[in-house]
Amino acid sequence: MTTQQFDLMVVGGGPGGYVAAIRAAQLGFKTALVEKQHLGGVCLNWGCIPTKALLRGADIAHTLKEAEHFGFTVDNLSFDIKKLVQHSRSVASKLSQGVAYLMQKNGITVIDGTASLADKCLLDVEQDGKVTQFKATHIILATGARARNLPSIEIDGERVWGAREAMTPTALPSKLLVIGAGAIGVEFASLYNDLGSDVTLVEAEQRITPAEDADISALAEKAFVQRGIKILTNSIVQSLDSSGADTVALISGPNGEQHLEFDQVILAVGITGNIENLGLESLKVETEKGFLQADGFGKTNLAGLYAIGDVAGPPWLAHKASHEAVICVEKIAGVDAVKPLNKDQVPGCTYCRPQIASVGLTEAQAKAAGHSIRIGRFNLNANGKALAINEAEGLVKTVFDEQSGELLGAHMIGPEVTEQIQGFGIAQQLEATEHELAQSIFAHPTVSESMHESVLDSLGIAIHQ
Amino acid sequence: MTNEIKPINMPKWGMEMSEGDINAWYFAVGDQVNAGDDLVDIETSKIINTVTATDSGILRAILGATGETHAVGALLGVIASAETSDADIQAFINSNSSAAAEPEAVTEAAAPVAAAVETAPAPAPAPATIPQAASGLSKLAEGEDDSLVAASPVARRLAAEYGVNLNNITGTGRHDRVSKRDLEAAVVAAGGQLIGNNRSASSAVHYGDDSNVKATPVARRIATQLGINLLECRVSGDRGRVCKADVEAVAALKNKIPAQTDSNTTVSSNTVASQPISGMRKTIAARLQASKQTAPHFRVHIDAEIDALLAVRKQINSSNTDAKVSVNDFIVKACASALIKVPALNVQFDGEQLSYFSNADISVAVAIDDGLITPIVSDANHKGLVEISNTTRDLATRAKLGRLKPEEFQGGSFCISNLGMYGIKQFDAIINPPQGAILAVGAGEQRPVVKDGELAVATVMSLTLSSDHRIIDGAVAAQFMSVLKGYLEQPATMLG
Repeated sequence: MTTQQFDLMVVGGGPGGYVAAIRAAQLGFKTALVEKQHLGGVCLNWGCIPTKALLRGADIAHTLKEAEHFGFTVDNLSFDIKKLVQHSRSVASKLSQGVAYLMQKNGITVIDGTASLADKCLLDVEQDGKVTQFKATHIILATGARARNLPSIEIDGERVWGAREAMTPTALPSKLLVIGAGAIGVEFASLYNDLGSDVTLVEAEQRITPAEDADISALAEKAFVQRGIKILTNSIVQSLDSSGADTVALISGPNGEQHLEFDQVILAVGITGNIENLGLESLKVETEKGFLQADGFGKTNLAGLYAIGDVAGPPWLAHKASHEAVICVEKIAGVDAVKPLNKDQVPGCTYCRPQIASVGLTEAQAKAAGHSIRIGRFNLNANGKALAINEAEGLVKTVFDEQSGELLGAHMIGPEVTEQIQGFGIAQQLEATEHELAQSIFAHPTVSESMHESVLDSLGIAIHQ
Repeated sequence: MTNEIKPINMPKWGMEMSEGDINAWYFAVGDQVNAGDDLVDIETSKIINTVTATDSGILRAILGATGETHAVGALLGVIASAETSDADIQAFINSNSSAAAEPEAVTEAAAPVAAAVETAPAPAPAPATIPQAASGLSKLAEGEDDSLVAASPVARRLAAEYGVNLNNITGTGRHDRVSKRDLEAAVVAAGGQLIGNNRSASSAVHYGDDSNVKATPVARRIATQLGINLLECRVSGDRGRVCKADVEAVAALKNKIPAQTDSNTTVSSNTVASQPISGMRKTIAARLQASKQTAPHFRVHIDAEIDALLAVRKQINSSNTDAKVSVNDFIVKACASALIKVPALNVQFDGEQLSYFSNADISVAVAIDDGLITPIVSDANHKGLVEISNTTRDLATRAKLGRLKPEEFQGGSFCISNLGMYGIKQFDAIINPPQGAILAVGAGEQRPVVKDGELAVATVMSLTLSSDHRIIDGAVAAQFMSVLKGYLEQPATMLG
């Protein structure tokens, strides 16, 4: 039997892998994609999209709660969490089929199975105990990442959920402990609080959403506390005891140790790359702290091998994976003027309530990098549209380099800011200064007017505050 | 719409274009055409591109039929209003045809130095569809590199389209940055026209796999029989499907007679799909025929034992993560070293002039869809094996994608064609002019050999050199092959 040969093979069908395959096929590569489970990867099946479907349910719960404020009386309200999960799963399944269609449309060979490197440019794919070997001039690893366990606390799928279990609950937890207040932990805390759970959020750092600008974290914490979420920062869950009816958590913090009882725990303390069983060690492929090492275009130290997306390191975001996919393939194809990934231009979005979105450097990072900076701030409580929709809690903070006027970073918290952040992203990409942003006309009435006002504030000429 | 009559001419895309093949018309005579519509696909030896309409009106005449070859500037068709009389149209055609006469037979442009088989990525289409007053604008085009001039991204993009050098524009934006308005004002002042909204977005047309196109079963079968790609067809059937009439329309356009679909006749499965050859195939045909006719080929053959080479290859690949050196990479390196040792073979000959080279630029034949191309590993004598390997992989990757730059496949002082991966034991190759010689490489395989009177087994590879006897003597070819065999059998010796 002759070995089937491709110009380019991708391992992993998530937003890194499938985008790489499509771009490669567009450029004329004979392309194959190997996926062991679901096309679409974590993002479509167990991450971004299904959680957004659940969070829509949380939004509706919140809307119903504040309906009275707008003159509505809502009686006989009931909620079936199974239906919400069903909606979430059907969206995931629809999108996964959509990816399958895109593969077919672009003439990409989809190979079901688990891949590992047999040698340089040689891939073994195992399915049902049968191994088939494939040759490819270029192999892109896009195997993603998975939730990380703590030494003392492991996801068991019962008392301790990872993200995957947390998005397919069969019943609503009454007392929920969320360990880790990064984007994933904060989203689940917000979701379950809106749906009616009593939520405690524990974070080892001194503030929630520790990757965000400190001003944004402070506002998020204030909003969460107002909603009744208990927040324990500078705190560590030492152990969990699930022997009784409830799980008892031993939590140590600034005020000593305390035992708290919960009926459910979600562990969201970061992720680790899927680098096992890929044949990396025998070929001496470089990895560090659980992730593959690659250059700005995804090239690893092994001839013909590339790594993109979560498995290639932070930030662990679908759109970063997709972007890396495109530049990696275009670089291989010799497309002119391909630029390496600039991590300071990757936006990050957290879909809690209120939403958080940011791009570039925080105020502290900009100072640490030696910039002399100019800061603009605008509070949403002076924004007409935000007041009209009764969601005036929020802030737009902009960080400019004093000398060049470069937009170093933008940080937003408030309603639908995840839809607005790319306005700042485009400005960054075009290297616009505060003047171009100040001269742009923002439509009224919109929440995004606050972006304009924040820029004006950096020049000391904000109109509405 | 006035009574003006507008010509459709063969465009000139790039310096080297002298003629083009009519590939397909999007409209038939009598059809309404709007400015900006795709009119006709033209194929050159390098690209397929689309001519778009600059004017609206009725397509009154087509003078360049599908499959014909016409010179640059030749009148291909006429657009005019419905009211314009046939006599006026004929008069217009007569007066315009005198300039660029009848469809003339293709005269193969005398191949200059080393135009290897050409399939370059499409050069930026010349802005032929943007009418400009040449003199004023050409002044705006002059000047030094303008990449440091402050300009908005939009202005810079437009400057490239108008061919304007930004050094010639006075910026009135903040910090004297050139804005879109500044640029357009300068273009108008120089007598140019603004591109406006009917800018032609000419794009290359490549028909791909049509197995996913929705079509009626009858339409699909007729299309297969006539060699028509369903992606070429309009969709007028119900439920968004290509129907029989759509396929027949394309067939008529291509002068292909639709097959009888009478249910009583059985259709033979052995149908003939005839089509004019592609520009690339035409180039390959002309060049190889010329080579075989003008260069008296003679061949010398030698076998090389490559067990030592295979051992070194294994060592290099296992000790170096960023290397995947192939046997062919060794042959490139060995040929480069041998060409430096026997410089009489490192030569180009155009029929009159001999050019000897001090470095070995080795063309490596790469099979691609519908043809082949020979990207060049330049200065291979100065490159190490790993560098040759990585360079070759990159060139082969981009060759298959049609993304080589002209300088990456034009030239070369020697050529290697390797069919070993197909299990071919031995073959002869035709010289790639104006090069003087080409090496044909067969598969390395275990064969019985006699050593010191004993029968033994060795991995042996057969090599055949074709040389142009006008400039290369038999002894020179033999000397080269002997040196090459030495390098391949004792790879360490070529490192010196």
